[in-house]
Amino acid sequence: MTIAATAGRTAINPRAAVLAYLAVSGIVLLLMMLLGLTMRLAQAQWIDVSPDFFYVVMTMHGAGMVGIAGLCSAAVMWHFVRRHVPVSTAVFLTNLVFFLIGAVLILGAGFIGGFGAAWTFLFPLPAHSGGLWSVNAAAAYLVGLIFIGVGFLLLHLDIARGILSVYGGLGAALGVKQAFGLAHGEEGPPPAVTASTMALIANILGILVGAAVLIISLVNLYVPSFTFNALAAKNLIYYFGHTFINVTIYMAVIAVYEILPIYAHRAWKTNWAFYLAWVLSTVFVLTVYTHHLLMDFAMPTWTLVAGQVISWLSGLPVLLVTAFGTLTVVYRSGLRWNPAAALVFLGVAGWAIGVIPAIADGTIAVNSVMHNTQWVPGHFHTYLLLGMVAMVLGFMTYLTNPQSRYGVAWLGYWLYLLGGVVFVLAFLSAGSASVPRRYAVHVAQWLPYDRIGSIGAACAIAGVLILIVRFFVGMRTAASAQDPSG
Amino acid sequence: MIQDVVWSVSIILMGALALVFIWVATGASVAIANYGPVIDAAYRLRVWLFGIALIVLIGTNYKTVGELPYINTLPPLPAAAVQPVQVVGQQWMWTITPNTFKVGQTAEFQVTSKDVNHGFGLYDPEFRIVAEVQAMPGYTNVLRYQFTEPGTYQVLCLEYCGVAHHAMQAQIKVTDH
Ligand code: HEM
Ligand SMILES: [Cu+2]
Repeated sequence: MTIAATAGRTAINPRAAVLAYLAVSGIVLLLMMLLGLTMRLAQAQWIDVSPDFFYVVMTMHGAGMVGIAGLCSAAVMWHFVRRHVPVSTAVFLTNLVFFLIGAVLILGAGFIGGFGAAWTFLFPLPAHSGGLWSVNAAAAYLVGLIFIGVGFLLLHLDIARGILSVYGGLGAALGVKQAFGLAHGEEGPPPAVTASTMALIANILGILVGAAVLIISLVNLYVPSFTFNALAAKNLIYYFGHTFINVTIYMAVIAVYEILPIYAHRAWKTNWAFYLAWVLSTVFVLTVYTHHLLMDFAMPTWTLVAGQVISWLSGLPVLLVTAFGTLTVVYRSGLRWNPAAALVFLGVAGWAIGVIPAIADGTIAVNSVMHNTQWVPGHFHTYLLLGMVAMVLGFMTYLTNPQSRYGVAWLGYWLYLLGGVVFVLAFLSAGSASVPRRYAVHVAQWLPYDRIGSIGAACAIAGVLILIVRFFVGMRTAASAQDPSG
Repeated sequence: MIQDVVWSVSIILMGALALVFIWVATGASVAIANYGPVIDAAYRLRVWLFGIALIVLIGTNYKTVGELPYINTLPPLPAAAVQPVQVVGQQWMWTITPNTFKVGQTAEFQVTSKDVNHGFGLYDPEFRIVAEVQAMPGYTNVLRYQFTEPGTYQVLCLEYCGVAHHAMQAQIKVTDH
């Protein structure tokens, strides 16, 4: 079922709204990458950055990247789900406005207020700045996150409304019947609907939990006598943080389902395994967060064992359904590679490959010696920078497909890919050499990793810059164009 | 060290998976007209892959879940065989008592924090992590570790705790018998 564009009900061109999201995302992504490069160069001792500023940059990079990951992948989701269910462009844009307000508060908290408690604002650190940031700066940061969360809550609720109006229930939209063989796979909901349903279930729950712990942290700032159990707070924060960042990939992957078949001239077959994968992923993403607490020995042991086992299990749908499906669609399809197809294909590869070091660290015996080393940024940059971001860049390229300038896009693609690989491998190898994460100052024996990583990062950013400039060049014509169809 | 094994295995698996993607990508331009047989063959292959994945998953988890670092899962030791150690983290220093040990001695670090979350990371004389545990206000986490090598061990903070996080270090001396 396809619902014609909602343009009749609202004055705003939905396509322009998507492009607005992507334009903001492109700029913020680049700026945040430059902050990332600043950290790498500082650790490499190629530039001089004071620790207090380093930790502000780290906090801004973390929060900014997580937020923008949500924003750009939401643009992918909304663009495609809109073909199947009625959604409101006004709500979509409201989320963007809330995001920008939140971003201003967060950037102010960091660069004016000096807030540097890391994006995870682990309780009670925001209230213990050691004199570096004020209570108000911490509050601005937390309120900024609340704004962003509320925006996403509205967006997901609106999509839920649209999905319910067409499919009647979330189970039907997820494809639960198909997953368990009670209905034919071919008759199931389109992948974009299934993925959006998973995203809204996970994110609505995650954001509500996040709001609770944000409010607790806020009250604690102003009423220090109001304290809260640190372990409970950590559970709530990771429940929210893990879910939010994970869901970005599940939203962005819709670009792969939609774009790759166009260029490969093959349909993405949705069978029971596809729906089962999504049903299981929904369960896993909401239950796996305890793998962030494996070194909190005070946690009930069964929750940590579950965190390990679910970490392993959650790799299966990614590898055996999405990655395998991608390979099947492309295999000897006669596909002539173009940058959009290559980017979404790379996105799946980055995601699937990043799952391997993630699972390793989700194993308690490994976590005992790798937790909070650079192995952690190593694995998540693999599936965020080379996975989620690649999918979004593919989507941006697909929307603004000026065929005549492939040459420069390929240059961007290869710089980004090769630089990115060097960058993440530098983190992973540093992690296995016990280099801690989140250290402003590195000792001499760690510098080689930092320097190689810096070079990789600089190449990757140059590549992304090319792809994003190309997006802006093509953006004007894209607003009135149709989606490419092959 | 576990780290070296994990690094090697991860790199091999990541590289293998990357090669599969490269192989499919470079072979994509040669078209097979009929998609049906490709799908059928792929589904058969997937059943095999699923079987292999399941065996690896169950095997690895069975093995590793049997060797947890949590004190409640470890066999109790007679009081004479363990050296209790008080470890208190606070912004930005460690207090560790006692902080000298003999090779072969088993320490039980009772780790807590006075203010925010810290991470007790034990680095061996080669500066590689051999054990870690969180230091959380309101909790005492017990980490058991047997020293097997003489030398100077470092304790680094492994949970971000503010501006001097990277400087929050301490030393532990381990001497021969
Ligand atoms: C080329 C681009 C990038 C560079 C150079 C970069 C660099 C860095 C560096 C140096 C760190 C700190 C590592 C440490 O703990 O020692 C970091 C952390 C982080 N990065 Fe990136 N990054 C990039 C892209 C991304 C992307 C695309 C995302 C997500 C979409 C992302 C999300 C994060 C997060 C969440 C953290 C954790 C911050 C924290 O520990 O509090 N980064 N990045
Ligand atoms: Cu610390």
